[in-house]
Amino acid sequence: MLIDNIKIAFKNIKERKSRVILTLLGIAIGIMAIVALMSIGEGMQQAVLGELSSLSDTIIVTTGDVSVNPMGGSFTKNNINNYFTERDIDDVYRINGIESIDPVTFSAGFVEYNGEIQTASILGLDADRIADFFGTEFLGLESGEFMSEGDQNRCVIGYNVAHEYFDIDINVGNKILINNKNFVVSGIYNEQGAGMSIPTDDYIHITPRDFKKITGEENITGILIRVSDSHLSNIDSIADEIEFFINENHGSDDFANVITMSSILESIQQVIGIIQIVLIGIAAIALVVAAIGIMNTMLTSVMERTHEIGIMKAIGARNSDVLIIFIIEGIIISIIGGSVGIAFGIVGSEGFSSFSSSGFMGSPIAISPVVTMSSVLISLFVAIIVGVISSLYPSWKAAKMSPIEAVRYE
Amino acid sequence: MKKDDFVIITKKLNKIYGSQDTIVHALQNINISIIRGDYISIIGPSGSGKSTFMNMVGCLDQPTSGKLFIDNVDISKLNDNQLAKIRREKIGFIFQKYNLLPTLNAVENVALSMSFAGIGFYERINRSRELLDMVGLSHRLNHKPSELSGGEQQRVAIARAISNKPSIILADEPTGNVDSKSGSKILDILEDINKQGNTVIIVTHDHSVAKRAKWIIRINDGVVSAYADRQH
Repeated sequence: MLIDNIKIAFKNIKERKSRVILTLLGIAIGIMAIVALMSIGEGMQQAVLGELSSLSDTIIVTTGDVSVNPMGGSFTKNNINNYFTERDIDDVYRINGIESIDPVTFSAGFVEYNGEIQTASILGLDADRIADFFGTEFLGLESGEFMSEGDQNRCVIGYNVAHEYFDIDINVGNKILINNKNFVVSGIYNEQGAGMSIPTDDYIHITPRDFKKITGEENITGILIRVSDSHLSNIDSIADEIEFFINENHGSDDFANVITMSSILESIQQVIGIIQIVLIGIAAIALVVAAIGIMNTMLTSVMERTHEIGIMKAIGARNSDVLIIFIIEGIIISIIGGSVGIAFGIVGSEGFSSFSSSGFMGSPIAISPVVTMSSVLISLFVAIIVGVISSLYPSWKAAKMSPIEAVRYE
Repeated sequence: MKKDDFVIITKKLNKIYGSQDTIVHALQNINISIIRGDYISIIGPSGSGKSTFMNMVGCLDQPTSGKLFIDNVDISKLNDNQLAKIRREKIGFIFQKYNLLPTLNAVENVALSMSFAGIGFYERINRSRELLDMVGLSHRLNHKPSELSGGEQQRVAIARAISNKPSIILADEPTGNVDSKSGSKILDILEDINKQGNTVIIVTHDHSVAKRAKWIIRINDGVVSAYADRQH
């Protein structure tokens, strides 16, 4: 019975190919949008997760006056009155599961090169930790090398500092003046852009000892803490402990900001989630238009086939038989349209990936869309639902026809 | 005679179309009983109400008042699906314009009514072939209606009408759209079907067609004006 209904529906569709193809196109576009947007969203997720998960063992502690913004990419020093103390560092060391602690010192400084003077952000961080901490996989050097233990008056500079700040580009081995002290450029970072990672473009990294020498400060504005692998699962509770100890040391509830990558990941995922919902909302509008298209086609088809409906009823078709024949027709249209849309969507999102490979919205993170089985199945399911809903009314209209009037209709 | 001997009984059957000013009394107090296995023609000019009567008996339409029993079931009280069941199981319709589905071939057209009756695929196809063979169309099984002559299409329609072994075959001007040679072939087939014990009712305005039936019912202005066997 069902097979027959499907056959009849197919034959009816074949009778009016061009109209069906246009209707198909409508639903195909809607489904294409859903597949493409879902896979781009998924790609975005995976790109961000891949980027940041390498930092998942890191806890960043700053004072309330300094904020770290990995999204926009900066340490911002507002009005430094508060600094971490040696006691803070010692206390943090006592917490179970700490792998390493690196104090960060941070200040603005004057950089002179080739007679020009500019200001740049100076970050003091142990030489062997710089590469380690930021993760060399995605933060490689454009040229040169990282400083090594015991190096003096050597620095690694950001891409912008090297190429944008001064009329003449700075190269590895060049000498620059930082706060009137001579430094040799040991390495230059790759361009980071405004991506979702720790920024380097506008920074100059020097050792803490040099930092103290040129700024006169040895005040610790931030602490970078790595948690040992075996304690990774309770990184959040370690972060809470750190916050508690430091705040207690300073007798204030909000002295320390403690940031873990997982909390950053969470907020990034929230943002991506909202983006995805908006994208899928747009696709949903396309689908509503497609549904109206199917309904229109089906209504016309019901009108045209009034006489046939009458014949079927005269030879004994139930209302439900007629209903099912038309609904199946709607479903077939939507399945074919949905499949075409899925194919288009996959091809389209691949196209998007090659378009965005140079960097998505200025980000160095290339987003390659990820088409998952579930997004394909969901899209197909949505297509079928659209088919059913939009053919419901026309089918009901067909089913309700009076057999005598329908069979007389010419 | 017992009640079961009658395949159709009407009691004060009325059908009224429209309302107030535009009222049309298509059938008025029709009282007819038709014996199982009869061969009857209904004759009358156009607009006489014979087609309305036919549609009523075929359960395509329901009476305004009065009773209509088909195989002892009062159809005036049935809902859509129950009427569909009667049409499927008790009635075989043959229309003047054949009314085959244009997208289906001969076998599929015959099998369609059986599929509504829930008969399995292979049985349906086999029976369709047998029936088409019976009406002399074994060489046209896979032809679509547009590839068949009028007479051939009408024979497909006959095969379809008898596919569910109905109690009553209703033929509305079955020869109206075919040439006389094909027409007489169609009537021969209908007579064969009648000889196998089926009740056959033909609506026609053609006297030569009507005369081949055992009984002729004449309807005029919605009223049965004469009821005679063919000797009269």
